[in-house]
Amino acid sequence: MLTVSGLIKSYDGVRRAVDGVTFDVKPREIFGLLGPNGAGKSTTIHVAVGLLAPDGGEVRIGDPGGPSGPPTDPVVRSRVGVAPQALAIYEELTGEENIRFFAQLQGLRGGELRNRTAAALQFVELHDRRRDLARTYSGGMKRRLNLAAAIVHDPQLLFLDEPTVGVDPQSRNAIFENILALRERGLTVVYTTHYMEEAQRLCDRVAIMDQGRILALDTVDGLVRAHGGKSVVVAAVDGRESRIESDDPIGELMRLKQGGPLRDFRLEQPNLERVFLNLTGRQLRD
Amino acid sequence: MGPIFALACKDLRLLVRDKVGFFFVFGFPLLFGLFFGVIFKGAGGSQGAITILVVDDDQSEASKALIGKLTSAAEVKPIVATYDAAVDQVRKGERVAYVRIPKGYGESARRPFWGTPPAFELGVDPSRKAEAGMIQGVITQYAVRDVMKVFSDPDALRKQTSAAIEEVGKADDLTPVQKGIMTAFFGALDSFMSLTLTSGVGAADGGAKSDGDKEGPEGEASIGFGGWEPVRIAVQDVRADRRLSSKPNNPMDITFPQCLVWGLMGCSAAFGISLVVERTRGTLIRLRLAPIARWHILAGKAAACFLMLLAVSVVMLMFAMLAFGVRPENYGMLAVAILSSAICFVGIMMLLSVCGKTENSAGGIGWSVLLMMAMIGGGMMPLFFMPKWMQTVASISPIKWTVLSLEGAVFRGYSLADMALPCGVLLGIGLAGFAVGSRLFTWQEGSS
Repeated sequence: MLTVSGLIKSYDGVRRAVDGVTFDVKPREIFGLLGPNGAGKSTTIHVAVGLLAPDGGEVRIGDPGGPSGPPTDPVVRSRVGVAPQALAIYEELTGEENIRFFAQLQGLRGGELRNRTAAALQFVELHDRRRDLARTYSGGMKRRLNLAAAIVHDPQLLFLDEPTVGVDPQSRNAIFENILALRERGLTVVYTTHYMEEAQRLCDRVAIMDQGRILALDTVDGLVRAHGGKSVVVAAVDGRESRIESDDPIGELMRLKQGGPLRDFRLEQPNLERVFLNLTGRQLRD
Repeated sequence: MGPIFALACKDLRLLVRDKVGFFFVFGFPLLFGLFFGVIFKGAGGSQGAITILVVDDDQSEASKALIGKLTSAAEVKPIVATYDAAVDQVRKGERVAYVRIPKGYGESARRPFWGTPPAFELGVDPSRKAEAGMIQGVITQYAVRDVMKVFSDPDALRKQTSAAIEEVGKADDLTPVQKGIMTAFFGALDSFMSLTLTSGVGAADGGAKSDGDKEGPEGEASIGFGGWEPVRIAVQDVRADRRLSSKPNNPMDITFPQCLVWGLMGCSAAFGISLVVERTRGTLIRLRLAPIARWHILAGKAAACFLMLLAVSVVMLMFAMLAFGVRPENYGMLAVAILSSAICFVGIMMLLSVCGKTENSAGGIGWSVLLMMAMIGGGMMPLFFMPKWMQTVASISPIKWTVLSLEGAVFRGYSLADMALPCGVLLGIGLAGFAVGSRLFTWQEGSS
């Protein structure tokens, strides 16, 4: 669905924001780009959708086995939806006016325009507030409107750039449900985030990015297995806390219990945070 | 056209909902017009009195007395002039009309019942019908009043009738029958007057009932009283050539182009800044991601700006016409001037959009540039108030050409050829501004 090969993009001719990034996104998968702020995720997305011209490398979008083209091709572009990180909506227009306007830019007219506008607003559960100005919406509602504007023309490939920034937990869950529902409909989603939990919950595959490069790419389980290290048993024995890395945490706990009374314990399983730490020596949110 | 139409509608809707922006586009220019309109309207103080030129060919006591009466009249303000000067000034549009008191007026005033009545010449621009009618009425009123004085002085009237009988007797061009009838008539009148003298009953005191003005041939109006004509006024068409004078008919004729310029500036500033806002707030990204070309985006913005500029022009024109009685001389030329100005300000809008990276900087720099252009271009005070060198410098400002083209249509009487220069300059600025602005516009925040 999306092929990115050897992508290079520099700003000011000096600093490489994207440095040789290569990945493929398969149809109907949610592909995550996980990394801290400044890792090059948004630049990768901007090049992938044709907003920025790459200094090197290539981006192609198309059906597998079918025709494909660069993202600047209007035909290709009409099959792509983007929800930018910045809220790309007009605050002084109503929700409905916003969605209808963006749908018109996609070439929708007449009954199709009305139906798609209504469907997009219903999908993000803003139909009841469609006649209110966008500036009266909460942060979460604006994010959902931003998402509705990206899907109103029924794209095949959807780019979501940090879609939950500044959103309350309830709206975040609503957005997650929307994204999973879109995948069920057959959409392919490219999702950037610096929240490990989001990538872990939503993404079929995740590319971990840092300093413009992809450090690792696999399923969440695959990344954890390969780079997460062993599970850690943290136990308080005889008033002292012990941290023990182990491939067999249950066996380790049993051994600790034989050595004396086990007052407290917890198990730290490897996750993407640990993967990032192991790959870069830094925390994901540093 | 679909995307351009959608973009233009969106921008117009946004401007209408932006109260501050909307005020600077419509409200401020209207207030500007109202303020200066009221000042100029009140400043004249002599709105009711029309200045007319009086040519005294007779130079008699009667003609001088008539001029004196006109001077004391509230309706007109007479200025004595030579015939040539009077015709010239009316032709230049500097004065509304001239009145020529004919040679022999004094003589005929003394014998109202004999000979041809005095024929005044009223020279007036045919487009000033209302003023012409009023002046004609005033001349008639004062001239007839002189004649009617005879009726309030029976002694004078008896002298007139005796003189008339004597003139009839000497006349060579009358048949004996005519002489007999007229002698009998004046004799009867003389007898009647002698009776009134002895009985002490006053004769007609000027209250002779008019049968109304009768239009004579060739625009000549004779003031008839049952067939008797004490005064004739021959109306002479003197078509004003505005190009010779370039004088406004109404103080608001000057203010209207300036008010409109402020509306145009507000509109181009609002749309120029809105392009920057699109970029800083991220909506430009979504526009660029749509399957449309960049020129569609700019064309949509230009179309919205152009339509709003036309709307501002129409609103300002209606306001000037309804509130202050501005009557453009040539609506066709006005349309040409407005279209050219609108295109110019679309180009300026595009240039303003590259003035700053943020909306604050774009707004600040943009308005500074616009104010500078208004200051030197006659947007704040009429150009003719400025020193000569300043008027020359003003040529670099599109405001000057906008004002000039609008004035040309409103009161300068410009032809299409006269309009070519200001409108050509405006179109040139508009197209060049749009081309340069489009080229320099930063599409991506933080990059170009």
